[in-house]
Amino acid sequence: MIIDTLELEDITPDDIEPQAALFGDGLGLDSIDALELGLALQKRYGIKLDAEAEETRSHFASLNALTALVEARRVH
Amino acid sequence: MKYPVHIEDWVAWTADSGLSIRPGHALTERLNESILPRMLRRRLNATGRAVCDAASVLDDGAGSPLIHASRHGDVSSSLEMLQGLESGDPVSPSSFSMSVHNAVLGVYSIARQHRGPTQALAACGNEFEALITEAAGYLATGQHAVIAIFSEGEIPLPLQSHTESPLCPCVVALRLTSETGQRLLAEPTVAAARPTPLQVIDWLSQDHTALVARHRWFLERL
Repeated sequence: MIIDTLELEDITPDDIEPQAALFGDGLGLDSIDALELGLALQKRYGIKLDAEAEETRSHFASLNALTALVEARRVH
Repeated sequence: MKYPVHIEDWVAWTADSGLSIRPGHALTERLNESILPRMLRRRLNATGRAVCDAASVLDDGAGSPLIHASRHGDVSSSLEMLQGLESGDPVSPSSFSMSVHNAVLGVYSIARQHRGPTQALAACGNEFEALITEAAGYLATGQHAVIAIFSEGEIPLPLQSHTESPLCPCVVALRLTSETGQRLLAEPTVAAARPTPLQVIDWLSQDHTALVARHRWFLERL
């Protein structure tokens, strides 16, 4: 989902370390990517996040954190 | 009339490799690979990438003003967003952020750490003359050079019968100065036209032809 949604060219799922940071260092995503991922989570899994909430930041910390969020809160 | 602008160098790109560009001026001859890092490159279509790459070939890193003109910009993306809104879909934040006319030079300025002036223009088909006029202004203020880029992307099918567009996506970038290179000359014309980047490329690639816009433009022979 991350690769498709963010049009990450030349990156395969194996290239994304589960523990590594998605934003800044690590994969190197930016703030627009965060908005794009928030929209994708809503469309694909029915998960609505509050952009202002501090916990949203922790959900986006790594692939593992994002996976845990989807498993805990997916509606479909 | 002698115009106070000279073309020192130029570089061109078209999506159709069959179109002829004067040897030495094709972007593919001047640059081996895109200057854009992969995380920025993904935000632009082929035309936007060519705008940045063409600008980089002519930019000596001295912070010269960059002007990008496009009549329609990335209109395919704008139309997709409007169609999405019509069917009730939320707009993609990255598409929305890139839908402004100055987005391409914004990406360039991040990629190259360019801190000089940047400007984006659309002029209803008069982009070539708008670029030259703006460049003349910058040069008159003492800028050593101005990089003027004129591009047109893919025009989506529903819009094609409502506007003039080139045969294929195309970019021409000019390095303009007040003293060095070939001087621009302008003559009045009774039959004004609205040249696309392809016509500018063709004019620069052929000898002894005029570019017809609101004036007839010639290059002073060296």
